[in-house]
Amino acid sequence: MHEVSICENLVTTVLKELAQGGKGAWRLKKTRLVVGLLHQIVPESLTFAYEVLTKDTPAKGSVLEIRLVPIVARCRVCGWKGEIHDSLFVCGACSGGDLETIAGKELFVESLEVEEHDG
Amino acid sequence: MTAKKIKIKVYRDLMGANDLWASKTRALLKARGIAMLNLISSPGSGKTTLLEQTAALLATRLRFAVLEGDVATTHDAERLARLGVRVSQLLTSGACHLEAKLVHRALLDLPLDALDLVIVENVGNLVCPAEFDIGENAKVAVLSVTEGEDKPLKYPLLFREAKVVVLTKIDLLPHLPFSLPKCLEYIRKVNAALPVIQVSAITRNGMTPWVDWLAAQHRSRIG
Repeated sequence: MHEVSICENLVTTVLKELAQGGKGAWRLKKTRLVVGLLHQIVPESLTFAYEVLTKDTPAKGSVLEIRLVPIVARCRVCGWKGEIHDSLFVCGACSGGDLETIAGKELFVESLEVEEHDG
Repeated sequence: MTAKKIKIKVYRDLMGANDLWASKTRALLKARGIAMLNLISSPGSGKTTLLEQTAALLATRLRFAVLEGDVATTHDAERLARLGVRVSQLLTSGACHLEAKLVHRALLDLPLDALDLVIVENVGNLVCPAEFDIGENAKVAVLSVTEGEDKPLKYPLLFREAKVVVLTKIDLLPHLPFSLPKCLEYIRKVNAALPVIQVSAITRNGMTPWVDWLAAQHRSRIG
């Protein structure tokens, strides 16, 4: 469910971008998506939803490439910065818990790879 | 005919459209001094029972309404309406969470000038509702002691986003293998600063701190 709703927004965004190239001028080959691990997305489910939702659209046949971004936090007390594993938001240096998430919440379309036809 | 490969940089956030509606809601509520809370939990954590008891205690202190999000049925809304609570039902028709646009439209149907607080009962689900900003002042994570104590570790986004945890059904603790210290430790590990209010809507234990917390949310809104 989670992946489907996110994918609906993804496909809307992709189609809007494609339309900017003019009707049928761009053929989409690849969509590059960046997803932070905090979103707990299952890439396989997202890829499957992408295939289904693009089926009858100009984005049909394109590939979804997902780049997962690790969760990184910074300690507000001692300045430590590091990756967070197993949901444990604990400072790796001072063991404090006052951490600010600085990566891992990303959810955006980075780029599209299209083929432009002329002649 | 030749084909030229082009890379188009997009950098567009997928929550952009939702966040736009959320900011419209925030502006609408701020202008009227209304606080809005977004209750998120698993199905069966006792959100509706908590709200039934909350209604009785809050009635003399704040004017409030409930937006009841469900996938199907109006049962929860009917339970609250029977107590005289002003309640609107939001049916998502299958969607597992509430989105900002739907909430915004529902708010416009409420008599906003006669309200201090809106409590949104999101669809029972610990994953998706945590993703969507609906324009609330605070997300409230509701966790019951009949669930696993490691839920905070399994669903870190919610417990990172929430401003408070309401731990419900604590009257059942003597009958369950649930370890309260372990649960509190897991919450701290995900979000050390997160306050936890322990309640039983049946014995009313802990209801006063919860209702005080709600009232404080409204005070900080108008303050």
